[in-house]
Amino acid sequence: MKILTTGSSLALIDAEGVRHENVRPVRLFPLTDPQHWIALVGENGRELACVEDLNTLEDEPRQILAGALAQREFVPVINRIVNITRATDGHDWHVETDRGSTVFRLETDESIQSLGGSRLVIFDKAGTRYLIADVAALDRDSRRKLERYY
Amino acid sequence: MVASLQTDLNRTLRFHAGLIVLTNLRLLHLEEAVFHEWKLGDIHELVLEEMGPTVALHLQTGDSTAWHWRLTSRFLRDIEAFIVRFHELRGSNGNDDEAGDDEEEDLFAAEPASVPKLASKPLLRLLGFSRPWIGLMLCGLGLTVASTGAGLIGPWLTMSLVDDVLIPLQSATHEIDTARVYRFAGGLLGAAVLTWILKWATTYVVARLAERVTSQMRRATFEHLQKLSLGYFNKKRTGDLISRIGSDTDNISLFISINFIDFACDVLTIVFTAVVMFSINPVLALAALGPLPVVAWLVQWVRVRLRGGFAAASRAWSAMNSVLTDTIPGVRVVKAFAQEQREIERFRQQDQHIFDTNDRVNRTWSFFEPTIYFLTDIGLLVVWSVGAWCVAQEHTTVGVLTGFVLYVGKFYGRLDSMSRFVASAQRAASSAHRVFEILDVKPDMPVNKDTRQIGRLTGEIEFRDIKFRHGIRQIIRGFSLKIAPGEMIGLVGPSGAGKTTLINLVCRFFDVSEGAILVDGNDLREIDVMDYRRNLGLVLQEPYLFFGTIAENIAYGRPGATRAEIIAAARAARAHDFILKLADGYDSMVGERGQQLSGGERQRISIARALLVDPAILILDEATSSVDTETEREIQAALDHLVKGRTTIAIAHRLGTLRKANRLVVLENGVISETGTHDALMKHGGTYARLHAAMEEVNHA
Repeated sequence: MKILTTGSSLALIDAEGVRHENVRPVRLFPLTDPQHWIALVGENGRELACVEDLNTLEDEPRQILAGALAQREFVPVINRIVNITRATDGHDWHVETDRGSTVFRLETDESIQSLGGSRLVIFDKAGTRYLIADVAALDRDSRRKLERYY
Repeated sequence: MVASLQTDLNRTLRFHAGLIVLTNLRLLHLEEAVFHEWKLGDIHELVLEEMGPTVALHLQTGDSTAWHWRLTSRFLRDIEAFIVRFHELRGSNGNDDEAGDDEEEDLFAAEPASVPKLASKPLLRLLGFSRPWIGLMLCGLGLTVASTGAGLIGPWLTMSLVDDVLIPLQSATHEIDTARVYRFAGGLLGAAVLTWILKWATTYVVARLAERVTSQMRRATFEHLQKLSLGYFNKKRTGDLISRIGSDTDNISLFISINFIDFACDVLTIVFTAVVMFSINPVLALAALGPLPVVAWLVQWVRVRLRGGFAAASRAWSAMNSVLTDTIPGVRVVKAFAQEQREIERFRQQDQHIFDTNDRVNRTWSFFEPTIYFLTDIGLLVVWSVGAWCVAQEHTTVGVLTGFVLYVGKFYGRLDSMSRFVASAQRAASSAHRVFEILDVKPDMPVNKDTRQIGRLTGEIEFRDIKFRHGIRQIIRGFSLKIAPGEMIGLVGPSGAGKTTLINLVCRFFDVSEGAILVDGNDLREIDVMDYRRNLGLVLQEPYLFFGTIAENIAYGRPGATRAEIIAAARAARAHDFILKLADGYDSMVGERGQQLSGGERQRISIARALLVDPAILILDEATSSVDTETEREIQAALDHLVKGRTTIAIAHRLGTLRKANRLVVLENGVISETGTHDALMKHGGTYARLHAAMEEVNHA
């Protein structure tokens, strides 16, 4: 199995030596175990190969994969909740994330789900995920605000 | 006495109580003045005959029926047990010649001591639940006494303040004693602060106790529910159970945390104030307590009226919850048939019922509280007038009178809050009763104490002349069948033939009425249910996914499964490819509030779930009937993987899905009418051939 970069996309040469173009990496456990179980999916949506542990790969393919994953991934990690204001259909969350400040809208409290321990994932109205890595690590003010909804 | 059986009908089917008693020597029948007896040796057989809603028990001597009894079907189980005891007894006496010489046991000395336990008062049973927190309870009680006592210091100080400081000051016979005023003021402040702190502590400690007790109740109730058989859940309305565990326990919690502590406070305050008042001035005290008997009578009157009212209110709540649990999951049907208005009306009616029952309670209630207030005012009036007279006669001082008025105020204020206790105690009692009703349900699956652990089965199943009766309906009428390990059996037959019942019996959701089911040669009733079910895999027509991630759902039967195992199971079940396409992969939320998956996708997850537990016996109940043909092909491929090397019992209406079956078993009216391979049965030209032809017709139409 060999992973190559072809311009902006990935190509895979499988165990039989067949070359697949436009391969995309998919994390099977993006929330609970993002570093393991990366599937390589071909153009037809079928899985071509599956990497159990990124660290078992050699440096080059690992970097290629990590780069490709980083390109497709967008899960901002919330560091601080600045404010939560009421909107017509839900609440607007003003937050500071590792990717900068933003505002997103939540429709119901049920869009906040626990990932076990004190990790939370929040789905906004558009389906974007925001992660709170550790509720206990948030500042006191943010925790107070979060408490009202979760 | 070996066994006894109550009879409730006579031979002309009129209600008539009687008793059949089995001793080690005789069978006796008592019915009012009538008395019959048969020697055990003369009895050839006891035969049970079902006749619709009634049952006949025939006693045969030789070949003829010497006597018969008629009973209503509710005694069916008792009769069966009685007959079993009879057979056991005869078996043990069997060829034993000495049996006849044995002394007959004293009929009455052997009377079973298990008189059905009367349901004890529900509120007293609550105390049982508080036992683990006895320390907390005593702490709360101590704090209550202390805080009540502290609350009584104020009026006492007031008395002296008026008599020793204010009145002398007003009559200007003395200089103002500043130090003394400070002392009194300080004392009053100190009493207030002490009361405040003690009350704070009391409230918290008791609220904590209440939460502990009710959380214990909720857990115990849920735990108990999980132990009850499927039959119980079939009979119960979900909404009713939810409201019993939810709102009824909440009523109890409120009662303990708020009302009970208040009540204790009230009783203490009333006793303390009464004692204090009598010690100060018995005449005034007597006058102040005058209206008390009226209050006592009133409380009793209200209590009786409220008791029924609250029970009705709780039932009304349950009924409304039932409407909700019925309508909300069924919303697609409601909308499809445009019956929103009808559901609104149904809900409105139930809600009106709640309104009415509460209104009835409130009517009693609204009269009660003001009446207590009125009596308080009367009490005060009496104290003022008697007090004025006493002061005029110089029997007492203005200060004592002032103190008295304060005490009387406290006294009747307490009566008022006590009256509120009456209502909440009744409410809590009826709630507690509803919760205990669940806890008192005996699991109706007789739990055999000395069950064996069997570990891993090979998957051999034998049905040995099994019969199953549900209520008065005979569903399985008796058949035998042996399934070899790894064999796949297709169950075919018209609906109502007993296919699903058979599966419920294999899962041991119910026990057979007669005969036995054996797995690897073990009677199902003699092996540990949990241990046995670990060998089972179940795929149902409507797969149930719990709220949680896909990975959690697949690993439901084996929570410790590794991610690699979960993925392998999903791959084998052909679920991996669609899971890949979901935004969160295996972390996607499914179930009631989660991702919407198609029927086929849900089915494949449930197949993965069954695969992961690697069952020896696999049960497929219409696993493919709710999906389209294309999806069916996918599922079929997944199933083919699943059935390999396992004993499989599959029900299917689409006969094509059973093509891999080693044998087809046609079930009709609770008996097996045909068995054989597809080809053999087609050649035979019986029911199966007919079913097959009918299906072909539908397919080609």
